[in-house]
Amino acid sequence: MLKLLKIEWLKLKNYRTFWILASLYVISIFGINYIVYRIQEEIYNEKQAKGVAEMVMGSRPYEFPIVWQMASYVSSFLLFFPGLFLIILVTNEYSYKTHRQNIIDGWSRSQFISVKIALAVIPALFSTLLVFIVATGFGLAGKEPFDTNKIYYLGYYFIQALSYSMVALLFAILFKRGGLAIGVFFLYAVVLENLVGGLMNHYLNYSGRYLPLESTDNLIPLPLFQQVQKNIIPSANFTALFIVALIYLVIYYIVINRKFKTDDL
Amino acid sequence: MPILSVQNLHKHYGPVHALKGVSFDVPAGSVFGILGPNGSGKTTLLGIMMDIIKPTSGTFQLFDETPSAKLRSQIGTLLETPNFYHYLTAVQNLRIAAKIKGRGEADVERVLGMVDLLARKNSRFSTYSLGMKQRLAVASCLLGNPEVLVFDEPTNGLDPVGIAETRELIKKLNKEGKTIIMASHMLDEVEKVCTHVAILQKGVLISNGHVDEILVNEDIVEISSKNLETLSRKVQQLPGATHVKINQQYVEVFFPSGEAMLENINQYCFEKGEVLNHLRLRRKSLETKFFELTQTNNTQKK
Repeated sequence: MLKLLKIEWLKLKNYRTFWILASLYVISIFGINYIVYRIQEEIYNEKQAKGVAEMVMGSRPYEFPIVWQMASYVSSFLLFFPGLFLIILVTNEYSYKTHRQNIIDGWSRSQFISVKIALAVIPALFSTLLVFIVATGFGLAGKEPFDTNKIYYLGYYFIQALSYSMVALLFAILFKRGGLAIGVFFLYAVVLENLVGGLMNHYLNYSGRYLPLESTDNLIPLPLFQQVQKNIIPSANFTALFIVALIYLVIYYIVINRKFKTDDL
Repeated sequence: MPILSVQNLHKHYGPVHALKGVSFDVPAGSVFGILGPNGSGKTTLLGIMMDIIKPTSGTFQLFDETPSAKLRSQIGTLLETPNFYHYLTAVQNLRIAAKIKGRGEADVERVLGMVDLLARKNSRFSTYSLGMKQRLAVASCLLGNPEVLVFDEPTNGLDPVGIAETRELIKKLNKEGKTIIMASHMLDEVEKVCTHVAILQKGVLISNGHVDEILVNEDIVEISSKNLETLSRKVQQLPGATHVKINQQYVEVFFPSGEAMLENINQYCFEKGEVLNHLRLRRKSLETKFFELTQTNNTQKK
């Protein structure tokens, strides 16, 4: 696998789009957390609102140990980005027909697709590492001492990131054309699933929570307003969500593999 | 040992039956041409060999073994179009190909030299002309000096000089003992370069064998006299004639290319008591031959 990844690296390292997107992503992860952090500072430092804020919203989100959950929650709004990146990489192969050439030159189909799946895992790991760094940074800037309690939210974040990447890879393999795959991915991740999920939640007893991306989104709830949330909506069955999320990952893996191994390329 | 052996390959694309039970062997050391018009199934056939198209049924062997990725890496293949990463340079692209084939990177310079691209080796692929792209694809095939090369329309998009150079290169590689399988829709190309040929038409292999047997260039002499029946019987023994055909207006006598002597024929017939009222030499071009081969197949099916 290392040998295969080295070859992927040869494809990537001189690809300018990759470096630009990767840099923007790093900046954005920091940026989006910083924005929310500033809002927190504004609200909690307001003398008049101080007591009220803590009563209604809960304790400061960018303090240890809640910061692990908060940074994961906030950063997850950018998870479409690694997905976008993955779609570009894979559909590039289709449009240059290099997916054919790689196999003609002596890769097996399973080598080709397994290195692409590895490419879905790596951004998810990288993204998780980024969130770890950002959360540690903001946590240390706060008043509470370093605390790894709740750091398991990074694990959920990894599963969520992996799900987004795998869905992106699935769409790339199914649609083959970049524009189409990106369009469907965005509409699905941002609008369609939320729409269907909302309707299912309303009419079908919160079953919308178990939709592919929703199931991982719900692994990391917003750590604020928890008291209020509990009063409005019943809390999710965490174990079920976790299992469903893993089942979806297995399904993506199987479908991606089967599709690539049996299709005419 | 045949380099490639194909048995009863079928391929359906939905309702389209692209290959209809194709079988043949490619002998080692040959330049094997797969000849056929556009859409006859040439690329489908080569694509199946390279595992980028799945056959509906049928089998094939490479080097007498079950095909595998490892065997593919020992074959240099150019299929349909040059496929490279547009944003990478020639050298960067060939390094990737070399790594996949498990060959050393040192070979990159050598193959670029062979196709005369060293001067532009650090230019991006996207800046290349069509001919340069094609030459780079040929270079990529030559990485690691493989014993077998597969070229799909190798002279596609090249200028006349490029075409001549590529054909020379193929002949040279063959002289070094390499087996070359090439698909082409150009008859004269196959005739100039290949030792063996398989003719495909609408997914059917209509002829296959040594190029001299399949693509014979012929002289055809049309003759007629009062009685075509007796004339055709008498000219059967004509020295040098390969075969005789009779149609409504003429008797056609076939000779190897350039060997028909009209005076001798006239004299022969006169001596046999046949006075000719028509004598005409027709040289049959390869195109006609090719057309004929594919057309007869058409009519057979009807």
